[in-house]
Amino acid sequence: MKKDNLPAAQFEVEVPDTLKTEEMTLNMGPQHPSTHGVLRVVLKTDGEIIKSAEPVIGYLHRCFEKHAENVTWHQVIPFTDRLDYIASMNNNLGYVIGLERMMNLQVNERAEYLRVIVSELNRIASHLIALGTYGLDIGAFTPFLYVFRDRERILDLFEEICGARLLYNYIWVGGVAYDAPQGWRDKVLQFIDYFVPKIKEYNDILTYNKIFIDRTAKVGVIPADVAINYGLSGPSLRGSGVEFDLRKDDPYSIYDRFDFNVCTGKGQMGTVGDTWDRYWVRVAEMYESAKIVRQAAEQLPEGDAKETVPRNIKVPAGEYYMRTETPRGELGYYIISDGGKTPNRVKVRSPAYCNLSVLPAIAPGVMVADMVAIIGSLDIVLGEVDR
Amino acid sequence: MGEYFKNIYKAIVTILIGMGVTWRHLFTRAVTIQYPHVKRELPPRSRQKLFVDIDDCIGCFQCARACPVDCIDIETVKAGKEEDLGETSTGQKKRLHVVKFDIDLTKCCYCADCVFPCPTECIVMTPKYEFSTYDRFDLIEHFSAYSAEEAEKLKERDRKEKEALAAARAAKMQAAPKPPSSDKPGPSA
Repeated sequence: MKKDNLPAAQFEVEVPDTLKTEEMTLNMGPQHPSTHGVLRVVLKTDGEIIKSAEPVIGYLHRCFEKHAENVTWHQVIPFTDRLDYIASMNNNLGYVIGLERMMNLQVNERAEYLRVIVSELNRIASHLIALGTYGLDIGAFTPFLYVFRDRERILDLFEEICGARLLYNYIWVGGVAYDAPQGWRDKVLQFIDYFVPKIKEYNDILTYNKIFIDRTAKVGVIPADVAINYGLSGPSLRGSGVEFDLRKDDPYSIYDRFDFNVCTGKGQMGTVGDTWDRYWVRVAEMYESAKIVRQAAEQLPEGDAKETVPRNIKVPAGEYYMRTETPRGELGYYIISDGGKTPNRVKVRSPAYCNLSVLPAIAPGVMVADMVAIIGSLDIVLGEVDR
Repeated sequence: MGEYFKNIYKAIVTILIGMGVTWRHLFTRAVTIQYPHVKRELPPRSRQKLFVDIDDCIGCFQCARACPVDCIDIETVKAGKEEDLGETSTGQKKRLHVVKFDIDLTKCCYCADCVFPCPTECIVMTPKYEFSTYDRFDLIEHFSAYSAEEAEKLKERDRKEKEALAAARAAKMQAAPKPPSSDKPGPSA
């Protein structure tokens, strides 16, 4: 990659020759409120301006891949919950669809619809956290409380359908663990009716706030070619104006039946690919997710939610790469089976990890305070970065 | 200069819009509850503490095998020929003394994988969520109906029975004529 593809430094400081200056190495994290977990970024700073940034990861490594080799196919599902713990449904979905495609298993219509409803609700919940914590990073506390209030409603819906609030273990091979209880569908529709007007509230209080725009627009610009070169995906890629969404481009489950748009950054407040654009893509995606949930809930057919599959499923020998669109981007499971009871290997291509890799490329030349805005806009979850 | 004042004007207006939202929220009902005094009612499916109805357990180990984190520890002893352990509420005959049924709740990941394979539906997740303790060993739940002495006695009996069986088998093997060794091909020369 050519060096001049990278964004130019934003600040040029002229230093008189008589002044003694030196670089300072600053550890940002691992205990830092705005690194969203246990991320450490080693910053080399020249005064307030960053010369280089190097993310140091591994503080939350839990050996997912090794665990997956030692438990049965089905027992991996609770472990996938713990990758990206704020969008567990989407994690379940990718792994399970991968297995089903390897086994050539057809899933009941109702189960497919329930899967789409829960994963889109989970996408909304995840984007709400992204919004709230991003505001918190920038210094706006109130939106954080508002988004958590609305996220709580989604968690209540999940608790009703599967019993858990965060780590669901809900999407199983052959269907879903539990059918929706009586009246759950109406509650989902009620929630969507309640939720869509609330997005305007977040826009009023945060998105179009002049101070927020000044902090985020034209900051941390990722040009489209840099984004593609670094393997970014999800809202971070779409924020750079690249229209790539696996739900549209490589449809899985029943996403091809729904009418929704792929939102991209347009540079409304500054440059295409700045942090405001990435933030805005998340806001716009909540509208789209709400649209999908409404369509799916209205079309939800009757029938069984669970296919009878044997307890100890056997997956035919072979390998498969299943990619799905999680709130953070392309989550890939590379599953290798030798026909046995346990997976031979489950490799995870984690979107947050790849998105984080762009940080050293865009950090040089920004202020330390903007670093917080950039990390927040990439919306990383350290549980998934380290796995 | 015009830009400067425009910025100030815009900042004030957008902040006022935001303040309007918060102002409206002043008059809505609070969504928080005063937790220890007021408690939420959890839905019946809520997956919190595990509970085992030991009267219904037949000691089949299905839950222990399904557990991804191996937090269920079961030991069983075969019932004697003349012993009748009764039936479970689902009408299955119990043939094993479940002398140990421990669940380590510090390890449990609340995935409910153990609940589904149970043939008698005796292991369930309950909506009970307040079980913090001062000692982590208190989080190991003992569900077995047998006291430690009773369990030891049963295990001792089982051991003796097994020894007797093994001895009888050995005696039988001694008495039986040895199979001719020339039939078996030896290790490759």
